[in-house]
Amino acid sequence: MFLIKGMPIRLLQGRTNELQTHSNADDQVLTDPRMASGMQEKQYTPSLLSFFIYNPKFGPREGEEEKKILFYHPCDVEKNEKIRNVGLCEAIVQFTRTFCPTKPAKSLHTQKNRQFFHEPEGNFWMVMVVRNPMVEKPSKDGKPPTIEYQEEEILDTVYGAVLQQCYSMYKLFNGTFIRAFEAGGVELLTQKLEKFFYRYIQTLHLQSCDLLDVFGGISFFPLDKMTYLKIQCFVNRVEESLNLVKYTAFLYNDQLIWSGLEQDDMRILYKYLTTSLFPRHTEPELAGRDSPLRPEVTGNLLHYGRFLTGPANLKDPDAKFRFPRIFVNTEDNYEELHLIVYKAMSAAVCFMVNASVELTREFCEQLDALVGPQLTLLASDICEQYNINKRISGPEKEPQFKFIYFNHMNLAEKSTIHMRKTASVSLTSVHPDLMKILGDINSDFARVDADEEIIVKAMTDYWVVGKKSDQRELYVILNQKNANLIEVNEEVKRLCATQFNNIFFLD
Amino acid sequence: MNEMETMDSPVITSLHQGDENEMQSENDLDSITEVEDLVTLPRIERGKERKLLDLPSEDNLNPNHLPVDIQKDDAVVFDASETVNTSEDNAHEDSGEFVVAMLARGTLEEQGVCTKRISSPLSETPLEASSHWDEDVTAESWRQHRKHVFVLSEAGKPIYSRYGSEEALSSTMGVMMALVSFIQSGDNVIRSVYSDEHTVVFMQQGPLVLVSVSSTHQSEQQLRNELLYVYNQIVSMLTQASITRIFEHKKNYDLRRLLAGSEKILDGLLNLVDFDPSFLLSAVHCLPIASSFRDSLSQILQKAITPNLVFSILIAKNQLLTIAQERMVIEDAKLDPADLHLLLNLIGASSAFQAGEIWTPICLPSFNPDCYFYAYISYLDPPECTVCLLLLSTDNEAFYAVAECKRKIEEAMQAQNALTSIAKAQSYSVSQVGVSDLRHFMYKPFDVPDNHHQLTQFTSPEMEAPYDSEEEKMRLLDLYRDVHGRIHNTARPLKLIYHVAARETLLAWVTTKFELYTCFSPLVTKSYAINAITKLLRWVKKEEDRLFIRYPPKYSTTPNASKS
Repeated sequence: MFLIKGMPIRLLQGRTNELQTHSNADDQVLTDPRMASGMQEKQYTPSLLSFFIYNPKFGPREGEEEKKILFYHPCDVEKNEKIRNVGLCEAIVQFTRTFCPTKPAKSLHTQKNRQFFHEPEGNFWMVMVVRNPMVEKPSKDGKPPTIEYQEEEILDTVYGAVLQQCYSMYKLFNGTFIRAFEAGGVELLTQKLEKFFYRYIQTLHLQSCDLLDVFGGISFFPLDKMTYLKIQCFVNRVEESLNLVKYTAFLYNDQLIWSGLEQDDMRILYKYLTTSLFPRHTEPELAGRDSPLRPEVTGNLLHYGRFLTGPANLKDPDAKFRFPRIFVNTEDNYEELHLIVYKAMSAAVCFMVNASVELTREFCEQLDALVGPQLTLLASDICEQYNINKRISGPEKEPQFKFIYFNHMNLAEKSTIHMRKTASVSLTSVHPDLMKILGDINSDFARVDADEEIIVKAMTDYWVVGKKSDQRELYVILNQKNANLIEVNEEVKRLCATQFNNIFFLD
Repeated sequence: MNEMETMDSPVITSLHQGDENEMQSENDLDSITEVEDLVTLPRIERGKERKLLDLPSEDNLNPNHLPVDIQKDDAVVFDASETVNTSEDNAHEDSGEFVVAMLARGTLEEQGVCTKRISSPLSETPLEASSHWDEDVTAESWRQHRKHVFVLSEAGKPIYSRYGSEEALSSTMGVMMALVSFIQSGDNVIRSVYSDEHTVVFMQQGPLVLVSVSSTHQSEQQLRNELLYVYNQIVSMLTQASITRIFEHKKNYDLRRLLAGSEKILDGLLNLVDFDPSFLLSAVHCLPIASSFRDSLSQILQKAITPNLVFSILIAKNQLLTIAQERMVIEDAKLDPADLHLLLNLIGASSAFQAGEIWTPICLPSFNPDCYFYAYISYLDPPECTVCLLLLSTDNEAFYAVAECKRKIEEAMQAQNALTSIAKAQSYSVSQVGVSDLRHFMYKPFDVPDNHHQLTQFTSPEMEAPYDSEEEKMRLLDLYRDVHGRIHNTARPLKLIYHVAARETLLAWVTTKFELYTCFSPLVTKSYAINAITKLLRWVKKEEDRLFIRYPPKYSTTPNASKS
């Protein structure tokens, strides 16, 4: 196990519980088992206090302040309280403009919480208030317990990125704020915001955000050239046969292989697919042939293809051919598209079709007939290739290190630290403090444009190495407590040689 | 308000007296007149000096008070502790007033001790004090400053701004106070605001609010620490108790009236904080000299004592030569490096100290924020003024006795031709360590003998090329501040940082025995750096008698011990 000795068991327990219950409760209490019963210390993870969106131009006059507020969570907050909180944000932003008019406040730190500010479109402000983690210590003599806020635990870069992601996700499914406002005024905009964020906020799992949220990267599926070409052929053939299809993206095992979308659009679509859509559909191919999990074969024994969006069963006479709509290229062309996600075994393909076209049963049947068999075949090809490659690279040994890699140019991301990243939780195999050290190193890198390397030894004697070369960042956590700087350096060199042999990293 | 205005001096002046007096002053409340009377006035110059003191800084003195002041001819040196008792006219005396007590000038001049008229270092004019005084606070150049510092009162009244006049910034400071109190009203405390360009740190200390607006990327902890220095420098002039008391009795009191002229000291402090790593490391930098020479200087200090003398400090080129301490005082508590930094800044901030002898009450906030020491400050090598003697006594009447100590010290030093040797003493070059590619370092030992009672010290060579320009010096210090901030991160401290950057490689290492920051040329290898560190540590060990005060001298001045 790579788990750190002395890592509080409560953290692990807390996280596994969470996996089982899919609890939404942000106020999850993790009890420290080390404390004797009766004198229990309670640890509270960071949680969402409020989330609101306002536009100061919508209620500029006194007495009209409420009009500024476009969305406010939790909604049962008293009106004046909402106005006060929005007022504070406006004041903070205005105050920082005294010192730099073009770069206003991004975050406000207080003893009890942190507020994050994001202005994704002119004058539209999104604010997220996160309570600091805290420890509740029981006091004797029946006095109320004392609460100690842990003020340095939340990383601005991580939660700032989470807030930006909220906007990107909204925009993917709703387009920009200003478009909605232009189309239907404040009324339409608030409706859309209400509809989207009411649900989306429930899925923010603030206690398990980390460096990966800062990167917002895409995990690519490693593939040999032959198989890659096969996939490209497949995409070209389908796009040619179904000329309604404007963009295509190909994924295997929740990892991207091919995408025709702009990077930023793909990045947020990828996030949606891997953390929301895919986990919602249990994986029949993971289950055995006779498993009850395997859904009714839809009458087509030739292939395993099925729609993840749109009609669940093509043979159903009442099937609806409605697909989710997404907005891409909002900066220039502002395209609205149908999102068709089709899957066969571990291979999933997104077909995007201009939203002005109405998608019919005929089109879907055509797609199913064309794509289903080919994709099934392709999926098993990929699987076979993948297994061969794995065998060549030898049996997996518990490595002496864990790493995260990110490439800013193609958004490629790889982590051996995260055992599993789902909608509800990211389960890491290292102590949260080490993850935060990675975050600290990342913010150091972000400040300078040059290539850099930072090696640190934590108080727990773990070594953490960060390397930045060109647009690439690599973070390694070494599990060798007694190593010295030179040995650590050798170990990381070996890692780079085996995993990233074609990438130059500073020595 | 009227009620407020009836407060007066006894209240403030008694602060340093301890409980009895406090009680007394409470009783005096009826008789008090306006706080301002008491606080602003007392320039305790003698009447004949009055004209000389016509300095711009006195603008904020209410002219009405002047006549009263002049009447006060016989006040020689005053200080807080005296006032309650002295008071035929205590409405106009304020101990708290640093400016007042700053110089017992009149007396000294009469004695012929100083031949040249000295203007109070604290009343050197705002014009001179701050070249940024009349800056346009809406201009881009104002915004571009690396680090702004503001001090305001809880009522939102401006007390100090590093750049631009407080008047011009009063609305900005009003906003700062509004933010502080708004968040307070939600039973919460504002800490900081971050933008892509700035870190804004808020800190409340009693009735004062301090704000730093910095584009330096320093850690919040470091910025907070700097604000604490600013606060303590203000306390060193007024004492914490008197600040608290003033605002208890008049919430919207304009503290600038008491600090008139001291902007320069705060400006100087902030410049030092930016350029002198002593503040970052909370340690004192000693001038390297042969240990035998240091011992002989220490002995000179040890011999020149008088009752109630507690610290004798010898400084050259703004670095410590030696410091002798009263035995009983050290038993009690040690002199904190932070207090010494404030003293050094006070001396350095004013050229006025260069011309004669100064006798001034000064509070050492880390030692005791509520009481005054009396500092005797005199340069030993006029007109160069690089060697400064600082004698601290607990007795405000001890000026003549302490001045006599200085005379003895001067004589003894002359006999040994010590000044010439001190003039030759120099900081060292990193090349003396004999490790190529090592460009600079800072070493702070914890394994010094008698560590518990010692000033924390550090050693560091001169900054040489490529760090010989102001900009490059600052850049290196910023790099040090970065690694220092990370390694001392409050939530996630580290043991070691090895940082390969574009133009240099830095290695920071904290152990139980020392704290070390080194700067190498960028292309050194890790194994080279490790070897270099080993060599460096060996060198420091070998040189430690020269680099540090190893055994700080002590003396006893308790009345029975030394009647001579």
